[in-house]
Amino acid sequence: MSQGDTNSAAVPQPGADIFGDDRWMSQHLRFVLDCKDKEPEVLFVGDSMVQVLQQYELWRELFSPLHALGFGIGGDKTEHLLWRLQNGELENIKPKVIVVWAGTNNIEHTAEEVVGGIEAIVKLINRLQPQAKIIVMGLMPRGEKPNPLRQKNAKVNQLLRVALPKLPSVQLLDVDVGFVHSDGTISCHDLFDFLHLTPAGYAKICKPLHELIMQLLEETPEEKQATLA
Amino acid sequence: SDGDRNPAGIATAVEDVQGDDRWMCLHNRFVSDSKDKEPEVVFMGDSLVQLLHQFEIWRELFSPLHALNFGIGGDATQHVLWRLENGELEHIKPKIIVLWVGTNNHGHTAEQVARGIEAIVRLINLRQPQAQVVVLGLLPRGKNPNPLREKNQRVNELLKLSLPGLANAQFLNVDPGFVNSDGSISHHDMYDYLHLTRSGYARVCKPIHELLQRMLEEALPSTPNATS
Ligand SMILES: [Ca+2]
Repeated sequence: MSQGDTNSAAVPQPGADIFGDDRWMSQHLRFVLDCKDKEPEVLFVGDSMVQVLQQYELWRELFSPLHALGFGIGGDKTEHLLWRLQNGELENIKPKVIVVWAGTNNIEHTAEEVVGGIEAIVKLINRLQPQAKIIVMGLMPRGEKPNPLRQKNAKVNQLLRVALPKLPSVQLLDVDVGFVHSDGTISCHDLFDFLHLTPAGYAKICKPLHELIMQLLEETPEEKQATLA
Repeated sequence: SDGDRNPAGIATAVEDVQGDDRWMCLHNRFVSDSKDKEPEVVFMGDSLVQLLHQFEIWRELFSPLHALNFGIGGDATQHVLWRLENGELEHIKPKIIVLWVGTNNHGHTAEQVARGIEAIVRLINLRQPQAQVVVLGLLPRGKNPNPLREKNQRVNELLKLSLPGLANAQFLNVDPGFVNSDGSISHHDMYDYLHLTRSGYARVCKPIHELLQRMLEEALPSTPNATS
């Protein structure tokens, strides 16, 4: 397996403006600006899994009250998220908890390379936001029926279970909450396009996520009191 | 006519480049869905149709009209054409088909996109002659002015001219004015400057819902009052 800067999943790379409407950069710049205006306690960073969550009522119910911000861009791979975090999306803020959810779009990378990309993100956060506790979301199963990408995502999760405990201030949250039925299929009632979550699908994952965030926020009691005062 | 040579008007299945077969699985699900259901209205198109299904406003406004949602993210006109030629119109007889596609036709000119949309309308006319087709205008995209915005605008202008010449088709502009006076689009309307937020959908869906309701009322079998 390749390491360090030979793993392109772990080398910061801005998203390409393939279509000519500059949407990726516009979103990144908005997030950088958000950091200047807002003081999030909880920050979500990632791909469309983060972006779509923010559009649903569940976000306003569970996470807005925790002073959460979401910096998700659809289609982002680990290297794109790495670039954004290195270029302003972690400046001027000091969140207590950072949720990382990316990797399923790294289609061309091996499971080992995706894990290398996620580790690079965690290390960068450790360096730029040493006070933050990090939650890495496991990758979701995808496709209606069993397929190689599902196997790869499962392998990423397996490798993360071994790799993440070696890094400081980080833990993995298992998102396998029974989306794959006994016949191997995934329902469109959970993943509407067999990749992105419905509100009902998010509800299953976000309950344990919300509990974990609450627990992490409570582990810093003096700061919590300060914000409540 | 260059109709046969227009890539936007040639039915094409999406290649499973990622390897999880999601596009074909969605298509197959739509075909099997349509066997059990009797929709009055079918929404056909890309992610703008697909994501609408995930918001409460779908259940508020369109579920009560017995609407089905056949949207697939990333679809261009040639993909919708393929889906309609391959089973998504076979088991149903809707009164209205709402068509919203074209913003993903990258690499095609505005003329090609408009011709592609017309090819879809013609196919619907052939397979579902009872159905009225409502073609939704393409929305502006990108935070700031850019060539794709201009192209989508041009597609709309072409459709406004051409659709009245086709049977059972009409154009509906659903842009409430998403572009602000400084040329920018707000993320409160389009969270990624392409896809709509909850409140963006609310602004777009109001005129759609009003038109559909009016059309469904007009489509009622004649009553004593109907001649007044
Ligand atoms: Ca700040």
